[in-house]
Amino acid sequence: MKTTGRRSLILYILGAAFLFGLGVFLYGFATQGGMWAVQPFNKYITTGVSSQGKVLDRNGTVLAESKNGKRVYSSDETTRRAMLHAVGDTTGYISTGVQYNYRAELSGYNGIMGLVTPNGKAGGDDITLTLDSSLCRLAKKELGSRNGAVAVYNYKTGEMLCMVSTPDFDPENVPSDINTNSKYKGAYLNKVMSAQYTPGSIFKVVTAAAAIENFSDIDSRTWDCSGSITVNGNKITDIKAYGRLHFKDALAKSSNVAFAEMAMELGAEKMTAEANAMGFNSSFSLDGINASKSVYNVAGAEKNELGWSGVGQYTDLASPYHMLVLMGAVANGGTPVMPYIIKNITTPYGTALKSGAAQAGSRLVKAETAERLQRYMRYNVTNAYGDGLFPGLNVCAKTGTAEVGGGKKPNCWMVGYSLNTDTPLAFAVVVEEQSYSIRSAGKVASSVMKAAAKIK
Amino acid sequence: MDFLTIGLGKAVPALLYFLRVLVPVITAVTMCGCFSSLKLGRRKEDPVIVLKNTVTHGIIPVLYWENSIGRSRSCDIVLRDSTVSRDHAVLMRRESGWIVTDTGSKSGTFVNGRKIKSATPVMPGDVITMGSTSLSLSRTADVKGLKLKKPYRRQASSPAALLFSASAVQLMFCVQLCLAGEKASLEPLLPFCAVFVMEWGMYFYSVKLLGRVSFELETVAFLLCGIGVMLIAGTGVKNSYTQLAAMLLGVILFCVMIWFLGDLGRVMRWRIVIGALAVLLFAANLVLGKEHNGSKNWIYLGSVSVQPSEFIKIAFVFVGASTLDRLQTAKNLTGFIAFSAICLGALFLMKDFGTACVFFVTFLIIAFMRSGSLRTIALICAVAVFGAFLILKFKPYVAKRFAVWGHVWDDPGGAGYQQTRVLSYAASGGLFGTGLGKGFLKNVFAGSSDLVFGMICEELGLVLAVVVVLSIAMLMFYARSDVTRSRSTFYSISACAAAGIMLFQTCLNVFGATDVLPMTGVTLPFISLGGSSMVSVWGLLAFIKASDERTYAARRKRK
Repeated sequence: MKTTGRRSLILYILGAAFLFGLGVFLYGFATQGGMWAVQPFNKYITTGVSSQGKVLDRNGTVLAESKNGKRVYSSDETTRRAMLHAVGDTTGYISTGVQYNYRAELSGYNGIMGLVTPNGKAGGDDITLTLDSSLCRLAKKELGSRNGAVAVYNYKTGEMLCMVSTPDFDPENVPSDINTNSKYKGAYLNKVMSAQYTPGSIFKVVTAAAAIENFSDIDSRTWDCSGSITVNGNKITDIKAYGRLHFKDALAKSSNVAFAEMAMELGAEKMTAEANAMGFNSSFSLDGINASKSVYNVAGAEKNELGWSGVGQYTDLASPYHMLVLMGAVANGGTPVMPYIIKNITTPYGTALKSGAAQAGSRLVKAETAERLQRYMRYNVTNAYGDGLFPGLNVCAKTGTAEVGGGKKPNCWMVGYSLNTDTPLAFAVVVEEQSYSIRSAGKVASSVMKAAAKIK
Repeated sequence: MDFLTIGLGKAVPALLYFLRVLVPVITAVTMCGCFSSLKLGRRKEDPVIVLKNTVTHGIIPVLYWENSIGRSRSCDIVLRDSTVSRDHAVLMRRESGWIVTDTGSKSGTFVNGRKIKSATPVMPGDVITMGSTSLSLSRTADVKGLKLKKPYRRQASSPAALLFSASAVQLMFCVQLCLAGEKASLEPLLPFCAVFVMEWGMYFYSVKLLGRVSFELETVAFLLCGIGVMLIAGTGVKNSYTQLAAMLLGVILFCVMIWFLGDLGRVMRWRIVIGALAVLLFAANLVLGKEHNGSKNWIYLGSVSVQPSEFIKIAFVFVGASTLDRLQTAKNLTGFIAFSAICLGALFLMKDFGTACVFFVTFLIIAFMRSGSLRTIALICAVAVFGAFLILKFKPYVAKRFAVWGHVWDDPGGAGYQQTRVLSYAASGGLFGTGLGKGFLKNVFAGSSDLVFGMICEELGLVLAVVVVLSIAMLMFYARSDVTRSRSTFYSISACAAAGIMLFQTCLNVFGATDVLPMTGVTLPFISLGGSSMVSVWGLLAFIKASDERTYAARRKRK
């Protein structure tokens, strides 16, 4: 029996394996429990059993809250739609929304109580956004039935004030044909963050920066814009022949011929260096939500293609969020204050967990270049677009009409910022499939900036 | 009941939460009480009887119920006599008294000068001669100067008190369940009462009627079963009826097996029959079984479905375990290896990979405890390689589960569906759960069987889930620590094998559901929904109970 007793020690191997496995599970529970719990499929969250915290705008307007086990949104449909992409939907399909990215905070998960509390009520934190829901509502109204993206932020404080993307849907009455009806194509996408648009002429800001830095005689040079040039048998055209143009007029009139010639003269290397310095091919994020990259890639491009790339065509792509940050950089002398969207997160007991603050990004534009770009972009507004669009705001801007091919009308852009110290606002607006940028993007930018200027 | 919910009003959620915190505490205390009482109540390792060398008058204390005698150092009674064989004889205590058996010695064993041919009873005063050594059997009381350990002064917890606290835990579950719905309901009282009647009925039967002194193992089992039944009742009270019926059958099987195991002679005579029945049952399963969820391990008898492999586990332990005299005479494992190969082969044909793993580990435990030799270990390894070969042959079935292992979060909507649900809902429950009957995991396929550990975490909390699995582990540690105190190596080996099966199944179930191991789909002993599994686990518990010497102490006292 002694021997049997000794041999029974083999069971300790099993016992040790069991304790080890249990340890692995408990370690996972302690370190990853939050990730495990806050899954979009978790019915405690989706059915609102653990009622989640509120999402509020900068003025305390409730954008989303849990009532009687249901997630409810603003009572006004336009507000619901305008805030959809910032707040997110109930099912978590909008992965850039706060409700998805901050689900751990909203659900109030903690390792001790999981997703429930002794009183059966919410343990979730409330999240206040920097956005102004009435400004977003206005942007949504201005876009109307057109698709596009509108973003406005305070380039001194970093607060994001407006972030609207269309098409959208009503999160409280999700259409049953949302996945089949083509009018909802891209409805889950926050175009400010996730879209990549052909930039068209707004890219001329980049080519201009490269020209400023590389041509010493920039203000004395002129470009002969006779309507078109032919490179490698391929025509680069303008809307009309502008004649002989100085640099600032070439930018204000947005002559493709002039900027294509500049790009070809600078060459692929200098153009790529400038684009990369200004944040193309780099990642930007907004409070942990990643934006799509802007793309500039002329590797292996023919000369005419290099020319087209200089006017924002060819394979160029721009993310509206990156354009907004770039405008913030120019406005701040080259180094942007990075935007943020979470004003603060507070627990049900009133303690603040996080509050947003101004944070400088890395330099995108040289100080001198930024100063000159500002002058030219201001000249664009006063001499070409009309200062009446932004009365009293001293806006510097650039428009773009990006050809997208496929028989579609161009995408119209306007990016810019107000020079005034009491309205330090930068904006980026895209309206898809329009003919004239001033009449589409320009008009949206005008109303949104006028309203934004009144925000305290 | 309505007045209760109205009267308590908003206090109800807080009250339920308080109960959820209280339950794991009381459960843990009860489990600790049971195991410490088991430990304290054990026989001291004092000599049962003594042997006196007739020439040198040296005294050899006999410590165990079965003792090997020989020249070998591994023997319980070592004789330094070159004329004695390495493994000479075995001295055993049986119901009838002491018995000595020769285990194939060269020179033979003599009792009072007569050479013995079979097991021969020896009385105090009789002289056993092996080689040139003669030993006379004496009672411990007749020998002076023996060092006896002092009996423990501390009183072990009373069995009734432990069972009472188990019932209290079950009552708390019942209260939780009654208040779980939007309207309070009295329906959950039914499963509670059924469990209550069973446990106290069993208590009076075995403690009062049969006069057994210990009831701790049963208390642990009833407490665990109660948790399982109430969890299942939380998915709908009607769902618990089959489980309760199976539990009753299990308790009956437990009692029958305790009686059957009481007589070792009877057990050893029936072993071949039990083994043959097991093989027949497997054959019937293969012929009559219908494919269900990828494996063919069910037989349908009218409206009742049975999983034969669950019962074959018990037969497997019967066939594998053996008394010391047989271990000493028949050292090779050929018969047992052949039987194991048939069982594993049948399970592979049924594509029941999880159960095959359980059988293989049981085989390893029994084979090692029986032989312990390097040769056997080599044999075992050969079998393992053979097993691995078979697994590879069934690759598409097993490989799929291995492919998901560790990558469940890559495909939470598909291959990792069950595990991600388990982890997510387990974490949602926190330390004290979201409340009995209020979970969501029960709606996931196999929620209350394969994924039941997740359900405990979700509805009752992580603390209770850990207490539950640790209790099953404690059963194994208890069975191991009691090995040399049991009445025969048959009991020691069978108890270790049975407890090993329980713990290994716990590992497969818990770690499979939580992605620590690949999912194999075996049940969690005592807890999981499943009639066959419930009946069989009580059968396995009978082996552990039988290995406790005190189980049969009462009968001895009566004589």
